[in-house]
Amino acid sequence: MERSPVAFDQNFSGTASDFLTLLRSKGLLAPALVNPVPQAGTPQKTWQPTEATTILAFKFSGGVLVAGDRRATAGNTVVYDRADKVLEIDRHSIMAIAGVPATAWEMARVLEHSFQFFRRTQLQEMSVDGKVRALSKLLRDNFGFVMQGVGVVVPIFATYDSHPKPEARLYFYDAMGAQFEATDYAATGSGSPAVRGILYYENTWGMKPLQQLNEEKAISIALRALDTAAESDTSTGGVDRSGKVYPLIKIVSREGITTLPESKIAAVFKETVA
Amino acid sequence: MIEEPYRWVEAIANRREYIEAQLAPGSPIAALGYRDGILFLTLGKTRQKIFEIYDRIAMGAIGHPGDIERLRMAAIELASTEGFSRSATDVSLRRLVHYSLSPVMKTAFEQIYGPPYLARMLFAEVGERPDDDLFLRVEYDGEITTNGATYAQARQDFAVLSGTQQSRELMEAFLKTQHAPDASFEAALNSALDAWSIGHMTLQTNDAKELPERAAVTKYRKEQLANSGIEAALLERDAGRAIRYRLLSDTELRSLIND
Repeated sequence: MERSPVAFDQNFSGTASDFLTLLRSKGLLAPALVNPVPQAGTPQKTWQPTEATTILAFKFSGGVLVAGDRRATAGNTVVYDRADKVLEIDRHSIMAIAGVPATAWEMARVLEHSFQFFRRTQLQEMSVDGKVRALSKLLRDNFGFVMQGVGVVVPIFATYDSHPKPEARLYFYDAMGAQFEATDYAATGSGSPAVRGILYYENTWGMKPLQQLNEEKAISIALRALDTAAESDTSTGGVDRSGKVYPLIKIVSREGITTLPESKIAAVFKETVA
Repeated sequence: MIEEPYRWVEAIANRREYIEAQLAPGSPIAALGYRDGILFLTLGKTRQKIFEIYDRIAMGAIGHPGDIERLRMAAIELASTEGFSRSATDVSLRRLVHYSLSPVMKTAFEQIYGPPYLARMLFAEVGERPDDDLFLRVEYDGEITTNGATYAQARQDFAVLSGTQQSRELMEAFLKTQHAPDASFEAALNSALDAWSIGHMTLQTNDAKELPERAAVTKYRKEQLANSGIEAALLERDAGRAIRYRLLSDTELRSLIND
């Protein structure tokens, strides 16, 4: 008989401080695929990253800016032009995703609930290192699926650390779960090579290093970078000038997360990009 | 011998008496629904007594810390898995308590060879409007009392918890006349402090039947506030945010207290 999630377990021990363990014990989350078995009959092929999108993040004077285009593709078909790939995990954390949406959104959901579960049960906020590691573990657990050719996710994680010293923190990952802390900027997805080039250039030879930019200038650079990525990468939506679909931009600062209103993005776009 | 029905009833009565005696010194907790949310409040901070359970649900409890912890963890696990597998709006306090906590507590209480839960809990779930606020008190034997209207009383916009029935009833009698659901935060805070003081005063005496004098309450409250910290938390009604629970600090409350 399938148990309802609200059924109280008589053998309840009260020791599951880890939400993942709890979900798995209740059969609500797929078990980690540690040793993927190659499918019989199919030749071993080298794994091809197929995360079709562009996500970028960089630190500026007001915190971390995270931007993502809105296009979702399946092969060479555009399936959705309002996808939200910049996801709020808690009041100070953003996970931006490139990769398979089903897996990525599930990961974001697990992560969001894990952080809350930790706070509620342990009566303290999870540390930034703990949060960064939690995402890394999810990616590692997912790698078996990646090796089977489904479910690759390559995220960026941006957060604000108030302890020990208040500062914005930015991390990017590979599909296996290795985490790298970025000092200035990070980009992921199929359009990222172009973006990385732009951000490197701006940071090194631009008017000012990225970390010293004001909000207006930061938005402008993010939009220009996404537009450049969309120029050569069919999987990146960039800015749809006719449909008025703008990239999604969120800012993490000491005060929390701000989602920039479309009107503001549109204004900066008209003035400095179009 | 215990298999005989009479012995069983006797054993249950003894157990009830034992648990009541254990819970008797428990410091009162008041939960008051007001215009912008629900305020949980108690005094004395040797051990945390007010907890976040889920987005819109909080809990206050007295009893043995080990038992409180087990029930608290169970409630959080149940709410979290429900919220994860369905959605946060599907997590309902009524179902959590009626379907999950109460049957388990009843079973533990009545199986006289096993240990009962030494805990008395007060849950609240904040609604969109004060009329939708839900308060539930759960006893060690799984008995549930809600704030809903019955033939004997109108719907209440508050709920209290205390070591003894006498103390609880006097707190309720006070809040029935002194608290309104459209109260401001400041008014709710002061009513909650008064209710706590009345409950705590009653625990110190053996046969208090009547509400103490206004001046005596004020004096007692002042003395207690001088010595102990305030533990308080809010469930905010603001629909803009998913997580409504917020801890209130002692210092942020002190400035709002009328002396």
